[in-house]
Amino acid sequence: MKKISSIFYFIILLIIFFFQLSKGYSLDYKFYGHVQPEISSFINGKGKHNQPNEKESVYFNINFISYIQDDLAKITINPIARYDHQDNNRTYIDLNRLKYEYFFDNVTFKIGNEIVFWGVNESFHVVDIINQSNITENLAGTKKLGQPMLALSLYEEIGDINLYIMPYFRERIFPGNKGRPRYAVEIDEDAVTYESSKKEKRIDLAIRYSKVIEDFDIGFSHFHGNARDPELNINQSTLKLNPYYPILTQTSMDIQATKKSWLYKLEALTAKIQSERHVRAAGGFEYTFYGIKDTSQDLGIVAEYLFDDRNSHPFNNEVALAIRWTKNDISSTALLAGANIDMRGNSNQFFCEYEKRLKDDIKLFVDLSMNGHIDSNDFTYAFKDDSNLTIKIAKYF
Amino acid sequence: MKKIIYTILALPLLINISFAETDEEKGLKIAKQTYENSRGFVDSQSDQVMILIDPNGNEVVREIAGKTLENNDPNDGDKSITFFKKPKDVEGTIMLSHTHIIENDDQWIYLPALGRVKRISSSNKSGSFMGSEIAFEDFSGSDYRKYDWKYLGEEENDGEVLFKIESFPKYENSGYSKRIGLTDDQFRTRKIDFYDRKSELLKTIFFEDYNLYLDKIWFADTFRVVNHQNKNSTIFKWLNREFNIGLDKRDFEKSSLLKLAD
Repeated sequence: MKKISSIFYFIILLIIFFFQLSKGYSLDYKFYGHVQPEISSFINGKGKHNQPNEKESVYFNINFISYIQDDLAKITINPIARYDHQDNNRTYIDLNRLKYEYFFDNVTFKIGNEIVFWGVNESFHVVDIINQSNITENLAGTKKLGQPMLALSLYEEIGDINLYIMPYFRERIFPGNKGRPRYAVEIDEDAVTYESSKKEKRIDLAIRYSKVIEDFDIGFSHFHGNARDPELNINQSTLKLNPYYPILTQTSMDIQATKKSWLYKLEALTAKIQSERHVRAAGGFEYTFYGIKDTSQDLGIVAEYLFDDRNSHPFNNEVALAIRWTKNDISSTALLAGANIDMRGNSNQFFCEYEKRLKDDIKLFVDLSMNGHIDSNDFTYAFKDDSNLTIKIAKYF
Repeated sequence: MKKIIYTILALPLLINISFAETDEEKGLKIAKQTYENSRGFVDSQSDQVMILIDPNGNEVVREIAGKTLENNDPNDGDKSITFFKKPKDVEGTIMLSHTHIIENDDQWIYLPALGRVKRISSSNKSGSFMGSEIAFEDFSGSDYRKYDWKYLGEEENDGEVLFKIESFPKYENSGYSKRIGLTDDQFRTRKIDFYDRKSELLKTIFFEDYNLYLDKIWFADTFRVVNHQNKNSTIFKWLNREFNIGLDKRDFEKSSLLKLAD
């Protein structure tokens, strides 16, 4: 762990220690988590880079929560980890949440690592920016890395205001050479460059205003700091991809209207990277048929469209469609199936995710991911042969 | 002279009319009294355990905890927060409801894996709560404003005389065509039969284990639900009930979910 973040954690632990010492009482806490072995089988045999047609790994998630200082403060420790015996980059420990929070009447102060989600969409998370993604978990980037921060939340009649000061930047984690799926060209993690001279020690800032007005949930956000999504530039001498993190200034809004069984959603942003401005937006709807055929089962439909005015961006004209079936039985059986379609006709992917509780503390997940037609010049062509079936079994404690 | 005679003759008739409640009025009066007797707790906090029993007697246990803030606005409902604890895969999930009388409730759910608060639809009135025989709409089933009422008469049960009242949901998407309930002379609901949309008997909830709280309110600490169609049953128990603990409406905002989140 790099120096600045070590100091940061040392301060947090010192605060925790100080308050524990000053109270000198027995700790009242919650402790829970899960262990999840997984196995994937690749349908097209060996990978483009000769990776085996199977992969195995184990995922861990642990939560420790304790209220201290007469319940006015809370400590959360939530490490996650994975062991993957093929891909070194996919073997990691991350302190997703390691934070101390103090609750004043209308104000919350927070220091430490946190996961912050902004937005309303199911598929296209356009405005979500605080946390870095761990691409080894999934290419969509929905699995995040804990972001070190000082945060202040103000809860007022006019709405909620959140301020984030982020003193340390996390680099994106990409699949390694033996990972599957992986990028076509090797990513050189030792050749990371930044626009900012302070590099990962640049202090990033963000502010968010949000409010609920009857059926509408509205948020406006502004971010200024290292872009989470790096440019990948080929190095002509090493023939590897070098990640470059420019400075990003982004202003965004997100809105959801909840009208009976309909959810209408929109996320939009305008952003500037190196004096070039772009616009990115995604929206759609979610509709649920409750109690289909007079049973307890529900059927939901999700449709979202993504637009980006950068022609060069690999995801600039996309549609995501999905159906979600929930049985609402004792086993919480559910199925999500759908497609991600590039409207220019360059690629499409299909997915199907099934889950069911096998015992009180054991849950089964079966994920099928299938690549359809992918154009050889499309960015996702590298993943074309990586259609797979993954079985996960989570044991909760 | 004739006028006076007519007036005198009409007088008892008028008195009679004003005293003779219709069955609808009497039903409403009992339902309203039952509801009002359960009010005045200000706010509450409790743990809840559900035992789901299948026709073969297999049992699974669900655990939640909840907080409620009473809302005495005659045109609006209470606010509540539900913490999911068992099964363990849902631990850390929290739900916030701002209930309304006829309109849909406002609901948000906190999903710990994503750190996300999502506004959800509450049209799912008839859906099963955590796989149990209790539907979402049953939790607000004592609010007389949500139903049309009709008094059906008295019924004797174990030597006790109970009021028999029929109710018809006024809100959309109910799973019930009607309910027939029995209420005692202390205005405590003892049992309700639920009829599905096809008017077939669906289930019965027995309200048991009545205890007096705050020296004034009778709350049933056990709901025993028997589904007559699928033969499943559910026992729902309230534990560690506390009232008037000083909760505030600020504890029931969307932002509260992130404060309460693990």
